[in-house]
Amino acid sequence: MTAFLIASLVLVAALAFGTTDPLGNPRFGFNLDNIAAMADPAYRVVLLRSLGYAVLTCAICLVVAYPVAYAIALHGGRFKNLLIAAIVVPFFANYLVRMYGWSVVLSDDGPLLKALRSAGLADETTKILQTGGGVIAGLVYGFIVFMIIPLYAALERMDTSLIEAGRDLYGGPLRTFFFVTLPATRQGAAAGCVLVLLPAMGDFVSAQLMGGPDQIMIGNLIQDKFFQGQNWPLGSALTMLMMAVLFVGMIGYLRRARKDEAEAVR
Amino acid sequence: MTLRPATPATFRPARRTAPRPAVAKTKTVRRHRRGTDRKPRFAIAVTVLFFALLYVPIGVVILFSFNAQKSLTVFKDFSLRWYSDFFHDDALIASLGMSLRVSLVAMAGSMILGVALALGLVRSRSRLGSLAGLIMLVPLITPEIVTGVAAMLLFKGMGITLSTGTVMLAEITFSISYVTVILRSRIAALNPETEEAAMDLGASRWQALRLVTLPALLPSILASSVLVFALVFDDFVLAYFTTGVDPQPLSVRIYSAIRFGVEPTINAVGTLMLAGSIGLIALALFIPRLFGRRGGLDLLSGK
Repeated sequence: MTAFLIASLVLVAALAFGTTDPLGNPRFGFNLDNIAAMADPAYRVVLLRSLGYAVLTCAICLVVAYPVAYAIALHGGRFKNLLIAAIVVPFFANYLVRMYGWSVVLSDDGPLLKALRSAGLADETTKILQTGGGVIAGLVYGFIVFMIIPLYAALERMDTSLIEAGRDLYGGPLRTFFFVTLPATRQGAAAGCVLVLLPAMGDFVSAQLMGGPDQIMIGNLIQDKFFQGQNWPLGSALTMLMMAVLFVGMIGYLRRARKDEAEAVR
Repeated sequence: MTLRPATPATFRPARRTAPRPAVAKTKTVRRHRRGTDRKPRFAIAVTVLFFALLYVPIGVVILFSFNAQKSLTVFKDFSLRWYSDFFHDDALIASLGMSLRVSLVAMAGSMILGVALALGLVRSRSRLGSLAGLIMLVPLITPEIVTGVAAMLLFKGMGITLSTGTVMLAEITFSISYVTVILRSRIAALNPETEEAAMDLGASRWQALRLVTLPALLPSILASSVLVFALVFDDFVLAYFTTGVDPQPLSVRIYSAIRFGVEPTINAVGTLMLAGSIGLIALALFIPRLFGRRGGLDLLSGK
């Protein structure tokens, strides 16, 4: 099975250098056309959009997940496990069904916009679906649990007397959070960011259901090259491009993590 | 000359103004001190809002699966028509059957291979073993679309027609990673001396494994197999890339249905799937407790 994994990944890498014959069948070879095609500004736009959406998703997840994990880990009392289970369990339910329910909630005459309109926060023309915001909302809903869990674990492990010390030293709640809690749990936050970034980057369902034709992400391009376009080598090349971008991020994360570990040992 | 109380009088207001900021300060300090055990209102507010947004979409799907009308915004009368539509839709039933078969096979396959692999990885100290252990983590840290594309290319490259079998194979490969990760930590936590003691008492290596090690691992094995079943049943991306034409897994069917317009039957199917997977995950969390282990949450957080 390990061999299966390696073989399949090597094949993607190899096919990225392949070509298609006139019948549309993939042919192996050593050809840089697909790599050169990556320079196409159209791909660059999609790649940058994917990266931007993924990073924004990650940031929103971080901002939302911190208070949630904080409230549960430090003030959840005996309901701690129950609350975390209540967050985790729905995330293991079908991704498509959840995404579909979310798109109904965010739709133009859905409950959320209706509530916002009656509160005077939105007007008739306000849209969430079919915008970039819709795609990001979908990604956040889809992957925020990957942020909450590591943050919760980090906050639970954290020595809470540090927070008390911060308060004793006249730190306000915000100052204590930014100078004590945040640094103490930054490894959990970093792990959460990686866990959100990876699937958000490759997702194609959110852009399809919440975005629309002008919001496509790199996942949609890859899917299109394999299913509609029948240009597998180009699809493979795009997959490798995405992996390369993620890999650079991962290396940064791993080096940082190793440094943190070394500091902790010292 | 009499000393007039003028001087103290002039001092007094000065003395009174000087401590005033100090008083104000101690007040804020005291508030902060109390703050350590005071509920963080902001965080709790965010949490409440988060839970609402987490469950509203799920609630919408469940609610409108019982709607008599086709509308997704107005709930009219209670009706089970979409459920009956689903049970009369042969194609959807075939998809359900296929998803169930794939999940069962993946559960069994990944369990046998996963247990063997986890045991091998923990016991072997060779460099090849730790390399294999690292590679097993690859599917967990690559976007699923990459795993899907890679598996599809491998099958096509070997000239295998995509079918139910290819989905099973791909799902097994993927789920082994979960099983191995969960079981490795459990095996590492086991006391190796119990197995050695069994062998000292005359048990063969295999008997020791079967009578001592496996029963100790049973809760984790059961919990992770339920988890694998639920994950594989719900999986979309990998199934999407490795499935043949007919029948398609249920999640792939749902995907094409929601892409081409809204069909309320999907609400019924979705509700059934939600109920099924939430029940299974709850079961997986509950199993370790059944065996007297504390909490099952470490299963999901990987602690």
